[in-house]
Amino acid sequence: MPSDPAKTPSTGQCFVSSRQGLAPSLTTVGFYEEIEHTADLALKCGGPDLDSFFRSAAMGMYHLMGIGKTRPDGTLTQTVALEAMDMESLLVDWLGELAYLAETQNLMFGTIRFQTLSATRIEAVLTGCRVSHIEKVIKAVTYHNLTIQKTHEGYAATVVFDV
Amino acid sequence: MDLTKLEQIRPFTYQIPASWRADMQVPARILGDAAILEAASADRSLEQLVNTACLPGIVTHALAMPDVHQGYGFPIGGVAATAAPDGVISPGGVGYDINCGVRLLGTHLLQEEILPHLDGLISALYAHCPSGVGKGGPIRLNAKELRQVLERGARWALKRGIADENDLERTEGDGCLAGADAGCVSERALERGRDQIGTLGAGNHFIEVDVVAEVFDATAADRMGLAPDKVVVQIHCGSRGLGHQVCTDYVKRFQKAIHTYGLRLPDRELVCAPLSSPEGRDYLAAMTAAANYAFANRQVLTHAIRHSFEQALAGKVARHQVFQIYDIAHNMARIETHPVDGRPRKLCVHRKGATRAFGPGSPELPPAYRDIGQPVLVPGSMGTCSWVLRGTQTAMEQTFGSSCHGAGRRLSRRQARKQFKGVTLRRELEHSGIQVMAGSMSGLAEEAPGAYKDVNRVVDVVHGAGIATKVARLIPLAVIKG
Repeated sequence: MPSDPAKTPSTGQCFVSSRQGLAPSLTTVGFYEEIEHTADLALKCGGPDLDSFFRSAAMGMYHLMGIGKTRPDGTLTQTVALEAMDMESLLVDWLGELAYLAETQNLMFGTIRFQTLSATRIEAVLTGCRVSHIEKVIKAVTYHNLTIQKTHEGYAATVVFDV
Repeated sequence: MDLTKLEQIRPFTYQIPASWRADMQVPARILGDAAILEAASADRSLEQLVNTACLPGIVTHALAMPDVHQGYGFPIGGVAATAAPDGVISPGGVGYDINCGVRLLGTHLLQEEILPHLDGLISALYAHCPSGVGKGGPIRLNAKELRQVLERGARWALKRGIADENDLERTEGDGCLAGADAGCVSERALERGRDQIGTLGAGNHFIEVDVVAEVFDATAADRMGLAPDKVVVQIHCGSRGLGHQVCTDYVKRFQKAIHTYGLRLPDRELVCAPLSSPEGRDYLAAMTAAANYAFANRQVLTHAIRHSFEQALAGKVARHQVFQIYDIAHNMARIETHPVDGRPRKLCVHRKGATRAFGPGSPELPPAYRDIGQPVLVPGSMGTCSWVLRGTQTAMEQTFGSSCHGAGRRLSRRQARKQFKGVTLRRELEHSGIQVMAGSMSGLAEEAPGAYKDVNRVVDVVHGAGIATKVARLIPLAVIKG
């Protein structure tokens, strides 16, 4: 799993790189990759630590929504505070929050600053902008097949989205 | 799954015994033929069906219709009934798009009358029926109105002057299900639904202008207002963001409920709660509210379709009016009474990607259909045919009055985008006489006919199994999509 020693996990920015074919995309830390799902959309994502894992999941979801090719820059800020019973629920709630902000306000965030990040809690400041077009709205983030694997390389999971 | 282990218990019906896995409460049954079973074994459909058979309080058997494919918790095409009041209710047995369903509208027009004006009609439909990502509807509801929509469904539209009594009578549940409680719907869900009433959405939702290609049951067709060459219109959509949020909210709330009530489940998306619990009661009330929203949504779209027909055809054809044939849900849970071991029992019937198919004599049906059975609407993929069937007594006896809902996907969205190009597909459809207006070419590619299974095969199975019988086959003239 790639890592960027120049950035500390709690304050690192996440750049979205454009993706061709089936190769996974790399963020400065972590990765995401669209995988097959019959009826909806599925994403494999991961990172060497919680920061990069949650960040990659967000950027991967934005990619599925069709805004992953450019970094959503801007100065609009949004704070997010979430608490969940376990890490899978936290991930679902995290992505659900971002999907909700995109659907209702066209807000997308290229800069994510985690102030608190644990297995059951997120507090984050997001900076981004309103985008003019979203190719695909994520209607719901599901628990389907969702098990976050923790290995010596970090965290990884497959998330299925209802579209 | 080793398909040779399945027992064929009657034509087109195969059973996985309850002994297959230790946690199964009842057997699992699949309606299909050899090809359908083979396809079902290629994804997680059958595993999900077996998981469904583990639900606390499930009665008789879990079912998969022949359009079965992998879903969340339940397979798409899954039917399961749990005993009220202590059996469970599961949001995964309804689906995220609560009351996604189909409405069929009839006209007095023949194909030859409409063809010279089809371009203008399609343009009007595309203009007046908002579709696609981010498209708001013609009506932005204030808090009070939204509450009325949730609690009255299509009856709200009647009061607003955009429905008639025939529309409601020919809708499942009269378009206004009792037991809805807007107070059980979260603020976030309300916010998502506030400006989406009267919108089609995107994905596999559509409005389609069809013509009746073939009639199989002249009596039933006549009763429904169908005849060869008659023009009809289908609407396929659901409860939009509001319904999805209701499901999300209660899947989250039920993650805790399963621990509260000591429920052990093989799949997290099967989370549930006893019908009699506060969580179960709240979900049923919220789901019902979302279902009413979907009925109202399809009613507002019907009004827009009527307006489009008037705009494009008034003065050019003898009769441009549009009338309701029927409206059905294919993602729903309803409290119904069905025989179990020879005795009538109150059950919570979950139908996820499956439709109600009540047989002749059912008091729930409108007078026009009570003696022939409920219309069952089975849309095919864009570019292929759709079907109208009618429910039967056999369905009441074998499938809790249920039937299939569509074709079911064969390819993933990504595979479809790789194999098909939207622009090329549109050209090919137009070449074969089907006009397409779509907001997204990649979205169109994802919905290519080749991405779906053969709906004719699905319908042949339900007809052969006797749970719904063929009335008419429809072929498309035009498709409007997001």
